Amino acid sequence: MYPKAKQAWLLLAALVILALPPMQRFLEQSMVMHMLVQIPALAIIGWMIGKILPENWKNNIAPWNRWGITGIALAIIIMTYWMLPRVQDAAISEWPVELTKFITVPIMGMALGISWPQLNPIAQGVLKLEFWATFMRLGWLYLDLPDRLCANYLLSDQRVFGQLLLLAGSIWAVAWTLRITFGIKIINN
Amino acid sequence: MKTFLATFLVVIVGSLVLWVSTDEGRAFTAEEARRLEIRETPRSVPDWRLQNQDAETFRIQDWHGHFIVVDFIYTSCPDVCLILSGNLKTLQKDFSTEEKSDKLRFLSISFDPEKDTPQRLKEYLHHFSADLRYWMAARPINPSQKEAILDFFKVIVIPDEYGGYTHSAGYHIINPDGKLVAIFGIEQTDELHTYLNQVLEEKENVSKS
Repeated sequence: MYPKAKQAWLLLAALVILALPPMQRFLEQSMVMHMLVQIPALAIIGWMIGKILPENWKNNIAPWNRWGITGIALAIIIMTYWMLPRVQDAAISEWPVELTKFITVPIMGMALGISWPQLNPIAQGVLKLEFWATFMRLGWLYLDLPDRLCANYLLSDQRVFGQLLLLAGSIWAVAWTLRITFGIKIINN
Repeated sequence: MKTFLATFLVVIVGSLVLWVSTDEGRAFTAEEARRLEIRETPRSVPDWRLQNQDAETFRIQDWHGHFIVVDFIYTSCPDVCLILSGNLKTLQKDFSTEEKSDKLRFLSISFDPEKDTPQRLKEYLHHFSADLRYWMAARPINPSQKEAILDFFKVIVIPDEYGGYTHSAGYHIINPDGKLVAIFGIEQTDELHTYLNQVLEEKENVSKS
């Protein structure tokens, strides 16, 4: 493991690379890249920043975030916001919205990273099921919808996105089933 | 207690943000948003100079005093534009009575001005057997003007995988005062028809009284 200071620089560098205009254009030219590469990458960076926050910061946050409830609420709201099709479009055409994305999505990752381990196991189970259901619902919707939701993306792109969501949801479901019934751990969660 | 307060605050502020950014839960897509925005705050259309199918200069101002239905097209379009302008053709037929057709104008603006020469625009109109007195096809004169027009109407055009374009498809209504007042989707032709009937009748009453 790298020392914390070095990790912090690496994460910052990753954020800057994602924010470079050619990189932005590349990742935002298709819905699949935008939703399944850029946004998750930003969230993961946030998650990792959360891990290396100084201890005293974490101690200060803790009383406001018992059992991780505040953090999870924040993360869910930010997620919902970035699931609005018009916000995705606006991020492409308006720079303030793009900037908001580069700030709020890492915050979402950070909030999730800090709060998830503290969350009650039953709440974890409910949320996992709900996240999974969202993948399947949206996947189906995107596959089936005759109209485009985002003005900046092609219908074929939207369909591929739907397929990938269903695929990811299915893999998740299989991994889960294997774990529950046979105790086989494919993925950690 | 602190956690309760913080969560409460996050949920309230978050819900407010979601409420405001969807226009009170009324617009979830960019297309819905632009239609809603125009309905609530009509905007004056700048007086652009376009080039029409007869290679003449045309200004939106030239049609001041008429209702104008604008659609956006490119002449090599294989699908959506054909439906868009096909519906205009139906509209033109429906409103062909002398007093109504005189108050109503159709304008098909091309967003592919490099390829859509006046000749091709003319062929496009012929394809829909357009009544050229009331229906015009035109192209922007230069690329920056094209951008300005698309920006104004918030029409987004993206290249598709077959060398053509995918674009926002709708009917944009400019009123006799030169203001963009409504946008109807390609699926809303019935609403468009009802709307035009209504406004044309209102206008008739106003001019009579």
